[in-house]
Amino acid sequence: MKAPLTKYRTGSWYEATGRERVAGLLDTGSFTEFIGPEKREVSPHLARFDLPEAFDDGIIIGRGTIKGREVLLAAQEGRFMGGTFGEVHGAKLTGLLRYARGHQDAPRVVMLLLDTGGVRLQEANAGELAVAEIIRAILDARIAGVAVIALVGGRAGCFGGGGIIAGCCSRIVISEQGRISVSGPEVIETNMGVEEFDSRDRPLVWRTTGGKTRRLLGGADAYAEDNIASFREAAINLLDRIPAFDLDTMAQEQARLARRLEKFGRCQDTPEIWQAMGIAEPDRIADLPDEDFDRIAHAQKEANHDAR
Amino acid sequence: MPEWRRQQIERESRLEAGRRFSDGKVFAAKDTTALLEAVIRPGDRVCLEGDNQKQADHLATALAGADGSRLHDLHIVQSGLVLSAHLDLFTKGIASKLDFSYSGPQGAAIARALYAGRIQLGAIHTYIELFARYFVDLTPQIALIAAVSGDREGNLYTGPNTEDTPTIVEATHFKSGIVIAQVNKLADRVPRVDIPGDRIDFVVEAPTPFYVEPLFTRDPAQITDTQILMAMLAIKGIYAEYGIQRLNHGIGYGTAAIELLLPTFGESLGLKGKVATHWALNPHPTLIPAIESGWVKQIHCFGSEVGMDDYIRARPDVYFTGADGSLRSNRAFCQTAGLYACDLFIGSTLQIDLAANSSTVTPERIPGFGGAPNMGSDAHGRRHPSNAWLKAGREATEAHPGMVRGRKLVVQLLETFGDKMVPAFVEELASVEFARRMKLELVPVMIYGDDVTHIVTEEGIANLLLCRTAEEREQAIRGVAGFTSVGRARDRKMVESLRSRGVIRRPEDLDIDPLDANRHLLAARSIKDLVKWSGGLYRPPGKFRNW
Repeated sequence: MKAPLTKYRTGSWYEATGRERVAGLLDTGSFTEFIGPEKREVSPHLARFDLPEAFDDGIIIGRGTIKGREVLLAAQEGRFMGGTFGEVHGAKLTGLLRYARGHQDAPRVVMLLLDTGGVRLQEANAGELAVAEIIRAILDARIAGVAVIALVGGRAGCFGGGGIIAGCCSRIVISEQGRISVSGPEVIETNMGVEEFDSRDRPLVWRTTGGKTRRLLGGADAYAEDNIASFREAAINLLDRIPAFDLDTMAQEQARLARRLEKFGRCQDTPEIWQAMGIAEPDRIADLPDEDFDRIAHAQKEANHDAR
Repeated sequence: MPEWRRQQIERESRLEAGRRFSDGKVFAAKDTTALLEAVIRPGDRVCLEGDNQKQADHLATALAGADGSRLHDLHIVQSGLVLSAHLDLFTKGIASKLDFSYSGPQGAAIARALYAGRIQLGAIHTYIELFARYFVDLTPQIALIAAVSGDREGNLYTGPNTEDTPTIVEATHFKSGIVIAQVNKLADRVPRVDIPGDRIDFVVEAPTPFYVEPLFTRDPAQITDTQILMAMLAIKGIYAEYGIQRLNHGIGYGTAAIELLLPTFGESLGLKGKVATHWALNPHPTLIPAIESGWVKQIHCFGSEVGMDDYIRARPDVYFTGADGSLRSNRAFCQTAGLYACDLFIGSTLQIDLAANSSTVTPERIPGFGGAPNMGSDAHGRRHPSNAWLKAGREATEAHPGMVRGRKLVVQLLETFGDKMVPAFVEELASVEFARRMKLELVPVMIYGDDVTHIVTEEGIANLLLCRTAEEREQAIRGVAGFTSVGRARDRKMVESLRSRGVIRRPEDLDIDPLDANRHLLAARSIKDLVKWSGGLYRPPGKFRNW
């Protein structure tokens, strides 16, 4: 009974749990978890709200190999509290990044499998602090020569502090389903009005925050199909394309961002940007199959600018 | 000397009054309210076309804008009361009596209007029950209908959403009533004649196309593992067991899960071609993978579904289509098909009691019935046999040998706890309290318990056909009611004995591992997947897009 059913599994990244993503991304059997669920490091805050806890507080950290290369890895579980940053959750990630920077024998690559709505509201102060610490730890690690690669394509997207964290990484892999932004669509609508941003206009939401847009604008460096194997392949390809983290890189990025603002600053919607970039049939971008889209993205100078 | 032509004489005078605003049959949208005021008389029975899908919204808004001193006390007889303009008719006093079938989104507003005494409620009907009364004692004097296009002679093209139109026009026109149509476009020639022009008295081109609710689109992304488990139980424990070939599905996520499991779990059981081949069903997008995988031979539809038109056009072997290539739907015929030619109905409900009566009515909300009570009932007039029907009949009558008749399978598919963890199993339906408060003679019940043959929850299947006493029935229901208070009050010993007799079957009794009940099993996990399955022919409305 069980055997025939497994053949219908698709390996979708979007559908997978954090643990399924880890297992599929790394070389088979290579993963060693740090502070695993058996340690029961649960949130000290959730019980007060009568909310269920997770033994891993919604994040899996550890080390393993990817195509034989040693990496550290953290995967958020978007299904637990929307993958949010709580106190323990944040501390595990901060610790992992500090380990990467501080230890000679630590792998020089950290993979962040982000799937998060941002800070966990029930532990807001601890969560905000955690996001700040994680950003600092990423930058410290990058200064020390560690590559930090974000992979975004989960159900919760990558919002709030998660959006800023992704922006601080060396490289970002994204799928069509992936979304990166700071304020979520509903938050923008609530604060700025429906005229500014209609959160129920789903195509608008996706062409503003979604993976294809991020990739074409250079806000992500690689585009993956929605399956774990494609994310793995994209991550492997990026391992040898890690930019130096120095003043020169920053200055170039600043210049590119300034140019982008100049060229597209007056555009009202993404198809206008695609038009200005000279993409044929800009309105069809949303409906293009993955491989056709990837071809267009590769041909675009803007898309390969890695300016966030 | 008796007068035998009063209705025709009346009709002539109404037509004459209306023609002051029209050029032949055609009038301008700006004159709609004036024409309606001229043609309609106080106290008229009016059918304003609208159901759970398409709406004659321009005519509804125009009627709601009528002068209440000229038009009042109308008796509204229509399938669906779903637009706010429909409610306005009552709050403004233009209409006072109501006989309807479905209200969906206006369920709460109708409840308020009833309590405030603004609506005199005749009855809540099923669709074909109301249609039937159009021909007996609720014949409309005025029908206000909607079509895709029309010509100056009144020939109408209703397009894929034909739905109720032929029935309404038949009842109204042939009993000397007046039929007024709004069309999206006035054309020299219509693509196909769904309604012949001599049945139409006036035509107006509406400022905007009529509204259609995409009520039958279920986003696979919302389907939960629990619903998948229930779908597996239904497929293996009921579809396979009875060999269900002809069926109708409700619109919940549970049945959407079944549709999406046919090409995976269903295939693994070797059921392709053996079950779920002939359907009375709207064009559910979630059925696309099963159609594309060759499961489905034929589907007749009540209405259409937004975004499915091109897909249907490209699959005429499966759907009923006209000479123009587009879908031909018909609610009256499809409801009849569901009643007489289907062996199974499966749907979900809000509440179910210890006798398996179910209802979606609460004192705060009256969403109406629609077609479910009709689909979900055993047709005592049925005389043709089928294996599924006979097997169910034998199970029900084994203890009473004698004349065996068949039984339609009526399956309730529900999670033990519904939205916001409200228990679905109750000692008393909320509609009983509603009936008390409203002093109704008849408690609104969606499906009567004696028509229900199976209840499927995440805890298992209760086969009510095999229950021999009222007590067994109650324990069989408690035995699948999970951790609700109804479920916890079960008699454990009796439930175990029912299980040993196969009255209750747990997932393990069917060799189903709940750990296999996983979204990976869905043939499509998103609307985008459905678009891919359709080869780009399915074009979902924006609110369902995640890209």
